[in-house]
Amino acid sequence: MSAEAEAPSGDIALPFVMRFGAARPMIGAAAVTLFLLVWQIVGANEIIRSDLISYPSEVARTLIAMSASGELGSNLWVSLQEFLQGFLPAIAFGIAAGTAFALVPRLHYLCEPLIVVLNTAPIIAFVPIVVVWFGVGTQSKAIMVFLAAVIPILINTMTGIRQVHESWVRACRAFGASRAQVIAKAILPGALPPVMVGVRLAVGRAIVGLIAAEMYVSVRGIGRLIQVYSSSERAAEIFVLVAVVATFGFALVTLLRRLEGLIAPWSLEP
Amino acid sequence: MGALSLEHLSLSYARRGDAFLALADVNLSIADGELVTIVGPSGCGKSTLLMLIAALLKPTSGAVRLDGRLVTAPGSDRALVFQDFALLPWRTVLANVALGLELKGVPANARVEIARRHIAMVGLSAFERAYPHQLSGGMRQRVGIARALAVEPQVLLMDEPFGALDAQIRQVMGAELLRIWERGRKTILFVTHDIDEAIYLADRTIVMSASPGRVIADIKVPLKRPRPLDIRNDPAFTAYRQRIWDLLEREVLASNSWGTAAGAVA
Amino acid sequence: MSPRREQIILGIVGTLAFLVVWEIAARLDLINPIVVSNPSRIAAAFVAQLQSGEIFADLGVSLVEFAAGFGLSVVVGITLGIAMGLNRPTEYAIDPFVWFLYSSPLIAFYPLIVVWLGFGFATVVAITFLLSFVSIVVNTVAGVQDVDPQLVRAVRAFGGTRFEVIRKAILPAAVPLIIAGLRIGLGRALHGVVLGEMFSSNAGLGYRITFHAAHLRTADVFVPLTVLVAIGLLINALGNALEARLQAWRP
Repeated sequence: MSAEAEAPSGDIALPFVMRFGAARPMIGAAAVTLFLLVWQIVGANEIIRSDLISYPSEVARTLIAMSASGELGSNLWVSLQEFLQGFLPAIAFGIAAGTAFALVPRLHYLCEPLIVVLNTAPIIAFVPIVVVWFGVGTQSKAIMVFLAAVIPILINTMTGIRQVHESWVRACRAFGASRAQVIAKAILPGALPPVMVGVRLAVGRAIVGLIAAEMYVSVRGIGRLIQVYSSSERAAEIFVLVAVVATFGFALVTLLRRLEGLIAPWSLEP
Repeated sequence: MGALSLEHLSLSYARRGDAFLALADVNLSIADGELVTIVGPSGCGKSTLLMLIAALLKPTSGAVRLDGRLVTAPGSDRALVFQDFALLPWRTVLANVALGLELKGVPANARVEIARRHIAMVGLSAFERAYPHQLSGGMRQRVGIARALAVEPQVLLMDEPFGALDAQIRQVMGAELLRIWERGRKTILFVTHDIDEAIYLADRTIVMSASPGRVIADIKVPLKRPRPLDIRNDPAFTAYRQRIWDLLEREVLASNSWGTAAGAVA
Repeated sequence: MSPRREQIILGIVGTLAFLVVWEIAARLDLINPIVVSNPSRIAAAFVAQLQSGEIFADLGVSLVEFAAGFGLSVVVGITLGIAMGLNRPTEYAIDPFVWFLYSSPLIAFYPLIVVWLGFGFATVVAITFLLSFVSIVVNTVAGVQDVDPQLVRAVRAFGGTRFEVIRKAILPAAVPLIIAGLRIGLGRALHGVVLGEMFSSNAGLGYRITFHAAHLRTADVFVPLTVLVAIGLLINALGNALEARLQAWRP
């Protein structure tokens, strides 16, 4: 969202902006609080069936119960392992392939149809095939994560390298750099920020792939829990799981943003 | 030492299917230690000329010679200073200044020492470990100048180096450049579209025509050095300014940036 | 040969090479042809499903669900986005919820929707709506808010009323970002349809994929899958064309 400019009251340009600079978090917090309050009242008093919508205090209680019993922990651990088993190779392969494609365009053109397919098709649609091919265990989940994550990383690496600022390359060449030196000193460091953005974008897709695969068929994992509780109409448990998945995704993305800011602060400047 | 000779230099390239003549038969002789400015309308090819001398582009015909030797590839005998500074944003000031030395193969200890010396020369010693995004435009360009000087070139090629800076900073940078130049008296080729800047800095000013670029005047500027900033108000200075403007006005109106069809004279 | 043509030819060559290698590997039993399937079997399955008309029925269902879900998300998304963009307090109040939906993997909400709406058409439409409307809202808000104030001033200075300012300056200037949001929404809506059909429906392309997979008819799985991929590509191409047409005036 754009920055809050304090418009002088005489400025005819922004008649709709009321001077609410500091009020954003307040109004936001108020809206969320109101929502939680209404939810609690409606659910706890069974104005709507509480096993359909639950209510905040029940969700909190359930969260504690699920954590205490180890149900949450053990399944989360399985899902995490599957995630990493797919995501880390996706990073390595995506960067390697993206670099190769950027430096050897012909190679990219050969594989382009496959990349486009994997990029535009809903990744979820591949879950049944992957499961048929790789079984119902953790391997198929890791492969889904890999397939979902590798594409944004590959594409971002490729465009990152291709769109390295002309001026950096020109500066190196003007001082007599060889092609290898240009790659090492201008292109690779310059492409780092887009690569990191690609990794960050891959997180969301990877989580979707993982959960979908686990929901489809699995013995353990968060996705399986989701499926189990959805068929037994346990809204509280489902909310807990929703929160867990959302928090994991959010935490990972925030971590990656921080990393971006640390490794390449210069890329965040306009 | 730093004697440049441009012989029948021409450059044409394909643009949208047609051959576009950027430079047409440019001939120029520059003696060692001269500060020569090149002024002309936008798009006249003056930056292209520098790129040819730096060997980042190859001429369609003609030759560039440095001290009699044919120039064929980029090298540290000619150093470029860019309009958009072209600093590597992930490197500190020190590492940026050392870039040319790195590419020359100078060992690390020597690199640091030489880079430090040149950073001091441009007055940025306190900012050795700063990053470009933390510096102002004028400061960034001083880093660019230090980087170019650090490789001890025979010729300094400056492509509208102050074009991205505001007017006041531009004047101060010009004086600063002269101060640095007086110490070493390197050959400098300085491209600009600012007539005052061209006269203020120069031993000689070359005026170029609108595209296709060719030399239409070679004016000696024997004003006394060192030149104070207010020399711009001197009658002699004003006379040069008028003379060059008369030559350029016609070229500007004939150029693409005014909207006239190429070649037509208003 | 022009670079564009070379690109296309290499792409075709690459794909053909892939299919040929796949087919040979299956014929030579290097991979299990029943489990992995191969291009010739898939082609046969395609023909069979076309003849039986099964594929058209599924396609029809999916397209209807897609249109309904996406259409709804466009209407709600743009309306909400404009309201939020023009009125800050509204934006501040709704923003936390939008942000939460935007940053969560929405697949996690699927079971809630099933609990509320059961199996079938409504659920699929609901998931499609949910997945796509968030990006439409976010982009619409950004589009409205990022309008150059100078444009607003210009219309005002020439005597425009508040509504005219909205109609003539703000909305047209917001169009590029709104279109971008619609493009993203299109892709996500397709995801939603597939998700919904795979897990909570008994009709449509997504359902058909799981149906054939459950019977281990791998070749048959590829048919609806390919159709989905084709739809995805089509949507992408249309989105590109739309964006290009409407942004001719941008640098």
